[in-house]
Amino acid sequence: MLVTLDLQDSPKVAGLRSVFGTLFYPVEGVARVITRPVGNAWYGVTHYNKLLDENSLLRQQVAQQEGATVAAAASVRLSQELLALNGLPTLAGINAVTAQVIGESPTSFSQTIEINQGAESGIRVGMPVLNAAGLIGKITKVFTNRSFVMLITDPDFSISVKVVSTGRKTTDSTVLGITSVTTSTAVPLEPISNTPDAETTTTTTTTTPIAGFTAVVTTLPATPKGLTSITIPSASELDVRETGVIQGNGPTRQPTVRFIDNSLRFGSIEAGVPIVTAGGSRSLAPPDVLIGVVSRVVERVGSAGPLLEIEIAAELTNLSFVRVLLYQPITEKKSP
Amino acid sequence: MASRWTRLVLVLLIVLALQTTLFNELRPYGVAGQVMLLFVICSGIQFGISNGAIVGLIAGLMFDFVVSTPAGLGSITLGVTGATAGLYLYFFPNPIWWLRLISITIVSLIGEIYILIAQAMVGLGVVLELRLLKIFAVVATINVLFSPGFFLITRWTLSERKKDS
Repeated sequence: MLVTLDLQDSPKVAGLRSVFGTLFYPVEGVARVITRPVGNAWYGVTHYNKLLDENSLLRQQVAQQEGATVAAAASVRLSQELLALNGLPTLAGINAVTAQVIGESPTSFSQTIEINQGAESGIRVGMPVLNAAGLIGKITKVFTNRSFVMLITDPDFSISVKVVSTGRKTTDSTVLGITSVTTSTAVPLEPISNTPDAETTTTTTTTTPIAGFTAVVTTLPATPKGLTSITIPSASELDVRETGVIQGNGPTRQPTVRFIDNSLRFGSIEAGVPIVTAGGSRSLAPPDVLIGVVSRVVERVGSAGPLLEIEIAAELTNLSFVRVLLYQPITEKKSP
Repeated sequence: MASRWTRLVLVLLIVLALQTTLFNELRPYGVAGQVMLLFVICSGIQFGISNGAIVGLIAGLMFDFVVSTPAGLGSITLGVTGATAGLYLYFFPNPIWWLRLISITIVSLIGEIYILIAQAMVGLGVVLELRLLKIFAVVATINVLFSPGFFLITRWTLSERKKDS
């Protein structure tokens, strides 16, 4: 009966949990203080060599990534400015609460963690939880000052995602009326001498027929000296998105994405393609939160579409601090 | 003097605190030891089916309130595990130490299987994989190692005391 009541989110069971939590957490706090030296000693004995190796590896990685971080931060800022300019939602516009991980699931069968922020901080069930690398899970239970987070590897976890593919590689058109190239990357052209227009305003017309679009006269800003090529991708080169559902498979197996439509336009999916949340009015997470990259594509016969195995961007085994996005889909928001 | 059931609740609070702190952090081979399960098994082996079941129900309920699984699920599984452990006393009324250790190993495995079955019955995802064997092995080993101490604790907790005249 209790199971049935709890599965139906009975407020009585929630109240009982809350009362028990109020009584139990002081005891747990004392136990944590007393047992911490034992735990530290255990880690010292069992993880010393691993920590040394990990430390040196991390130092190398930090050195490598310092430069990349600066460039990435600039790109993110630029991207958010562009999204804001076009009135599109960005993660920067969503309030978030930083929380500390205070415990893992005491059982070995479910992949959950406990964080030290709860309803008092505005956290609600279903909100997405991230760390610096990407999505790690979602809130499944909320108490006054703590919450449970179901990790992305839990077999019960699922969320709609999109796979961003670069489509089929075909032809690029290079404007300035000079040449067309047939590679998938922008080919810098030789500097054009004696072109006075290049310093003021260049008026060009795209002539590549794009399905669904009408060719228009495009006015481009002044081109700096030395830069003479602007690349407009053809329709087939634009990013193509397909939605699917990611589902956890336990801590030892990679999560998989199902329900990917095997459309021709989407082309074949390759390993390394990023997986981000799909967003939408019913999704529990906003769009474009990074989850990971495709590590393997399992082709299936019939109309089932491919099954994608995902390498999660976030490291779930050593979580210390996480960020809860105070995001609720429009369909979940209560009207004032 | 507090009744043995009051003592039980207080002792279980401490065991639960150890479960969620120390045994949750010391994860040999990535598997958390299950001392609540061990407490229930030791109670069942020493005090029989009905006591084992009652201890299991109470311990399971307390466990349910601090984990995210549905309340009642732990009660059922630990209750049944306690009753299963109590069968030892039914078949072997005289305690034999090595037989007790074997019983703890077997009932630990059965208890973990009960948990999996219960989770599957309420629709929680259960992934059958080789890691389960590792979980069973580690939990059973930890339970056997800690069982002498837990036999003393459960005996102290659940034994009836004569009232002072």
